[in-house]
Amino acid sequence: MSAVTEFLQQVTEGLGSGAVYASLALALVLIHRFTGIVNFAQGELAMISTYVAWQLVASGMSFWLALPVTLAVSFAGGMLIERIVIRPVQGAPELTVVIVTVGLFVFVNAMAGLIWSFTVKDFPQQFPDGGIDLAGVRVDWSTLGIIGVVAVVMGLLYLLFQHISAGLVMRAVACNPASARLAGIRVSRVLMLGWGLAATVGAVSGVLVAPVLFLEPNMMGGVLIYAFAAATLGGFDSPVGAVVGGLFVGVAETLTGAYVDVVGADLKVGVPLVIILAVLLARPQGLFGRAAVERA
Amino acid sequence: MSTIVATLGTDRSRRLRAALTVLLAAALAVGAPFYFAPFQVFQLTMVLLYAVALAGLNLLVGFGGQISLGHGAFFAAGAYTAAVMLDRYDIGHLATLPVAAAGCFLLGLGFGVPALRLRGLYLALVTLAFAVFLPPLLKRLEPVTGGSMGLTVDKLQPPAWSGLAEDQWMYFVVLAVTAVALLLARNLLRSRVGRALLAVRDNESAAEVMGVRLALHKTLAFAWSAMFAGVAGCLYTWVIGFVSPDSFSFVLSITLLAGLVVGGLASLYGPLLGAAFVMYVPSVSQDVSEAAPGVVFGLLIIAVMFVAPTGLAGLPGRVRAAVADRLPRTTAGLDRTPETESAPDTEPESRAASEPSATVTPADPAVVDAEPVGAPPRTEKE
Amino acid sequence: MSEPTTGRTESAESAEPDFLKVSDLHAGYGQARVLQGLDFSVARGEVCAILGPNGAGKTTTLRALCGMVRGRGSVTLNGTELLGRSPEQAARLGVAHVPEGRGTFNDLTVEENLRIGAHLRTGLGRRGRAGRAAVAADLERIYDYFPKLRQRSRQAAGSLSGGEQQMLAIGRALMLRPSLLLLDEPSLGLAPLVTRELFEIVRAVNEEERTTVVVVEQNAQLALDVAHQAHVLEAGRLVLSGPAAQIREDGQVAEVYLGVSVSSRKAG
Repeated sequence: MSAVTEFLQQVTEGLGSGAVYASLALALVLIHRFTGIVNFAQGELAMISTYVAWQLVASGMSFWLALPVTLAVSFAGGMLIERIVIRPVQGAPELTVVIVTVGLFVFVNAMAGLIWSFTVKDFPQQFPDGGIDLAGVRVDWSTLGIIGVVAVVMGLLYLLFQHISAGLVMRAVACNPASARLAGIRVSRVLMLGWGLAATVGAVSGVLVAPVLFLEPNMMGGVLIYAFAAATLGGFDSPVGAVVGGLFVGVAETLTGAYVDVVGADLKVGVPLVIILAVLLARPQGLFGRAAVERA
Repeated sequence: MSTIVATLGTDRSRRLRAALTVLLAAALAVGAPFYFAPFQVFQLTMVLLYAVALAGLNLLVGFGGQISLGHGAFFAAGAYTAAVMLDRYDIGHLATLPVAAAGCFLLGLGFGVPALRLRGLYLALVTLAFAVFLPPLLKRLEPVTGGSMGLTVDKLQPPAWSGLAEDQWMYFVVLAVTAVALLLARNLLRSRVGRALLAVRDNESAAEVMGVRLALHKTLAFAWSAMFAGVAGCLYTWVIGFVSPDSFSFVLSITLLAGLVVGGLASLYGPLLGAAFVMYVPSVSQDVSEAAPGVVFGLLIIAVMFVAPTGLAGLPGRVRAAVADRLPRTTAGLDRTPETESAPDTEPESRAASEPSATVTPADPAVVDAEPVGAPPRTEKE
Repeated sequence: MSEPTTGRTESAESAEPDFLKVSDLHAGYGQARVLQGLDFSVARGEVCAILGPNGAGKTTTLRALCGMVRGRGSVTLNGTELLGRSPEQAARLGVAHVPEGRGTFNDLTVEENLRIGAHLRTGLGRRGRAGRAAVAADLERIYDYFPKLRQRSRQAAGSLSGGEQQMLAIGRALMLRPSLLLLDEPSLGLAPLVTRELFEIVRAVNEEERTTVVVVEQNAQLALDVAHQAHVLEAGRLVLSGPAAQIREDGQVAEVYLGVSVSSRKAG
């Protein structure tokens, strides 16, 4: 295998994991746009959604039926969490809100352990084994499948926000909630919808990554850091940025792991840290975000 | 804030009472190791050392208003500094303390510089990423750190003259360090630095206008805070005699934040209560299930933020205030906007002050017209 | 319509003098009591100006009317109590508030801003051919009032000039087909010419659609040109009320602005 093919092979694999980061980053960005909150529990919500899917499949349901059910449950769960946990602190100081989402993180993580125990579960791989050969670069069906699913999610979100009136209303709320209320929009309901939507998108990332990482309550902890890096890189306000950032972080991670010996496989988690730091220091609004007036 | 004011109050009878309380607490603290079983003494020792870490975190989060989700990393740095020194060199335990403290102070200073440029949320992100990164880094540095096997070092041994058992001696040493650390934290807050920090937390732009050197104080807050965590980590090595990367996963960082929140942010004795929490909740609820501590912690964190943002330490004050407010409240309640009503009852003056009113002086009556209290703080997005 | 008029002498010959009725309105923020008991009425189809110095409570009055601020007392619109309702409920009752600082949706295009204004009639499941046609017609109507907005319909609202944003904010409010339009300091930060143009449009809207308007202004001159009735607010109390023309002649407005207390001459 030539050096170029080898390199492209790494890039392909990076895009595969990047797509997963992208979908969780999308969920983070959705919530940030609607509520100005960075949801530290986003990964855990995705994890519990994945458990729901696993439970359904384990009880005999076909995966392709379990998936829509899982997404619906996630949507409802996200709305419920907004109503019960987040709304009481909406508008409170940032510190309070961050701590509440951290509390949610701890709680959801532990609940998953309580219900499903901390032993690792095997999550069925939905995409067929094998793959295709593109000029010597082997592309697994699973990689293609993951990228395809994330592309579909992106497309659906685009449709929703650009061509459907509910999406327009959601954008209006994200942009200026006070004025939205004056236009008669029930902002609190829209915020619930936003959380439901984010939980659904996040659930997709969980289901996609579970066959690779194996299912256990701490599965998403690492993914969350990568998703944070992706969202930071893309700009916390930009869904497109989240996807581009996700793919970039995935590729950067894989390439660094493969070619930088000092980093290797075990220190790859340093890549998102470096990306987050570098972006925040050099261009805090990210690649696609608007320049916000940062304090200090 | 009321807690601080109350604690700092110079009222004479209050002082007398405080002195008596301190005396009583000291007597109890000194007597405890002779009364409890060794294992219980060990637990108390752990509470004390966690309290040091929480006091440090409190400087940053409670008083500085900055969010760190990575203080476990500084704790780990302190612990490893001590362990590596004890492992490689033939030196006494006490010699490791100043090195761990200074090292973590510098580390915090290094972190404080980029932290300056990060709004609270982003600082939380960076510190969390750092906490996640640290364990694999420790594993990688195997020649020094012992890799994933960790390092086993001598515990603190009682000198012959003391006639104390190991657990008792460790308890007293840790008690002494904790007492010094808590006093230091208190004095820091009473000093110019502390007042500046409070001013920055409550209204950054106003503090800047008033001439508080923002950058300096925020960086120093980070450094002091990291130093306390490092000292706690150092004590941890003395007491446990073993460090491994998995003892310092990011769960530790989150647990520390959780303990601080439950114990009481921005309170002087909140860290002690929080530390008891960090120690005893897992050990009690672990019997129920492996997941139980997390469930309890998660619920408590959220519950505390909802009903008592001042934590356990602020509870008595809040109860008193609620009773006193009972009558006037009925009319005041009418004037509150729906948003403020559903938000938790944090200090209203600091919330009002944090609204973007930098262009007008608070004395200008137009402020009242311009900013509805409780309007979603989204102005930067518009 | 370009020559400065001397206030509107003609009354809007309304059969409903108490279309908007404010009685003993108190409101404030937290401990700060801003409004200390306001009483006034606006007849259907009239323009009412509320004047007064900074901090008198003008903005608070409007916010109490639209539910952004809680108030005590009573505010009825066509007999329906407005107090105690949220802004979105008030909007559903036909109250369109153009907030101070305009409150446009800057990420959305001009046309999307206007469509959001029609949300109550078209939003979430209430679509259909008839609804869509009505919105299209309303869009045309708004574009006729504000031709500049038509030119910029595909631009992001955030890229508009201050005057255009104010037009957009008013246009969005009109898309609600409000029975009561609340304008908070429309002239704020705008050039005099732009402001004059805006007020002429407000007058045209009022005349053509018979929309009842309450406008809060620091620029008394302009507001009195358009208004039928006017009230002067000082320190949370009405110190002067009457037909706009009369208040304009009176010269007391100037007195108020100079800070001379006229509370002894409380109007009935």
